[in-house]
Amino acid sequence: MSTAIRKPFNWRRWRLVVTGGAIVGTILLLAILAPWVAPYSPFDLNVAQMLKGPSATHLLGTDELGRDVLSRVIHAARLSMMVAVLASLVGLVFGTLIGTLAAYFGGIVDLILMRLMEILFSFPAILLAIVLMASLGTSIFNAMIAIGIIFIPGFARLARATAESVLRQQYVEQARAIGMSHTRILVREILPNILAPLLVEAAVAFSYAVLLESALSFLGLGAQPPDPSWGNMLNTGRGFMGVAPWLSIVPGAAIFLTVFGFNMLGDGLRDAFDPQLRDE
Amino acid sequence: MREYRPHAQGAARPALAIRELTVDFQRRSGLLRTVDKVSLDVWPKEIVGVIGESGSGKTMTALSAMRLLPHGAKIGGAIALGGRDLVNIGESEMRALRGDRIALIPQDAMQSLNPTMRVGRQVGEPYEFHRKQSYGAIWSKVVELLRAVKIADPETRVRDYPHQFSGGMQQRAMIAMGLALDPELIIADEPTTALDVTVQARILKLLRDIRDERGSAILFITHELGIVAELCDWVYVMKDGKVVEDGPVKRIFEAPKADYTRMLLEATPSIHRRKGAKR
Repeated sequence: MSTAIRKPFNWRRWRLVVTGGAIVGTILLLAILAPWVAPYSPFDLNVAQMLKGPSATHLLGTDELGRDVLSRVIHAARLSMMVAVLASLVGLVFGTLIGTLAAYFGGIVDLILMRLMEILFSFPAILLAIVLMASLGTSIFNAMIAIGIIFIPGFARLARATAESVLRQQYVEQARAIGMSHTRILVREILPNILAPLLVEAAVAFSYAVLLESALSFLGLGAQPPDPSWGNMLNTGRGFMGVAPWLSIVPGAAIFLTVFGFNMLGDGLRDAFDPQLRDE
Repeated sequence: MREYRPHAQGAARPALAIRELTVDFQRRSGLLRTVDKVSLDVWPKEIVGVIGESGSGKTMTALSAMRLLPHGAKIGGAIALGGRDLVNIGESEMRALRGDRIALIPQDAMQSLNPTMRVGRQVGEPYEFHRKQSYGAIWSKVVELLRAVKIADPETRVRDYPHQFSGGMQQRAMIAMGLALDPELIIADEPTTALDVTVQARILKLLRDIRDERGSAILFITHELGIVAELCDWVYVMKDGKVVEDGPVKRIFEAPKADYTRMLLEATPSIHRRKGAKR
């Protein structure tokens, strides 16, 4: 009974997770090690080397101020990852809290909390972000908060639906029967049992956060120059599309790869944890 | 005529006394009465069976004593646990009693264990919540509890997760949790329904041993007559939210007074009667 039978590693089941994880892992590693990995400082100007194409000294070329594009794109990864992590975390924590409370207490609490979430949900994400940025002021920290707020209703809905099904479980009733308080029931019985789908959702939110951050920075609402961000690099590159296409292609490819990697990881995790897809 | 009730002799007061209990639900069509003026006693060291078909109100009666009725239920009458009123006390006072002075052994043990927590941790919860003891101090007590409910190799089993336990062991773990603080009353709500007969017999023996060794009173809810005959000292027969009859097990089975009890007894399949009918 207690001796688990070891199943051979199922590559088919985990291939998305492994591939996505490898992409994500590489990007995260680059982001963390940016100051040591990047060949140049992202801020060093070199007017003599303006708008030079990819070469041995500057692998991905230079921008309109002669800065090394490779170094800038690596440093931008750092910023994007930080924003994405913190924004997903804000969404995850507050969304889970709101959704779980709504499910647990039901009635009027549920009504008020979920209607608030629906109001938040009814705004287009990018519009809501712009409104929040306008009222909070433009900075990368505020971009993170704004993106996090956009994520809250999605997490809240998922948390509520999952918590509803966990609440009907007999072990929650039993927890009451041994005299557990509401807080303890929420933390010990409900939270651990709703966490898996929420974490998968967090991986998906993460890639969306990268996109949103890029969009906000592109619009000039996120990272402020000279801080490098994929979004504002893309915006600068726009003006030099004809003479220096690498200025747009490099940050664009970085955004694509990151989103691709995270979506693959998220999908893979969801499938791997789905018992109905487990043994096909 | 009052029948002789051995456990009531010499005891100061019942472990659980229920008087004129009513449980009502508000329905659009009016009040729905699921328990109708039920009076019931469980004396110390006594195993009392409550028997009846589904919908007879037996589970509602038991849940009333825990104050764990579904939302919207209204309790009337009086319930006392060892002389302490349970109907009018606040929720936090009631919470302090649950799992400490009054314990519930549920019907489906598998569903009653949190799949994300080790069995030992869960069985130790009453110590943790009611005695505010640390995880380290609880550990050895939990091992002793698991030993008391006859789980083999408790030192390693405490670290298992619920899915690593068999159905019978899960039910034993739930019983261990109920025993933790030596409650005055254990309410067992059809604890053997989900188990096969051999495991069932062992669980019933365990409950009887617990009563003999620890002196807890047990209120046993079931629809199986065989279990009542085997385990209980005193029986209440319920139908449509009312107690139709109560008495010592032997007398109920040999000379039922109420028509319903007689019907219930006759409805039980018996190998002897089948043979007789053929002859």
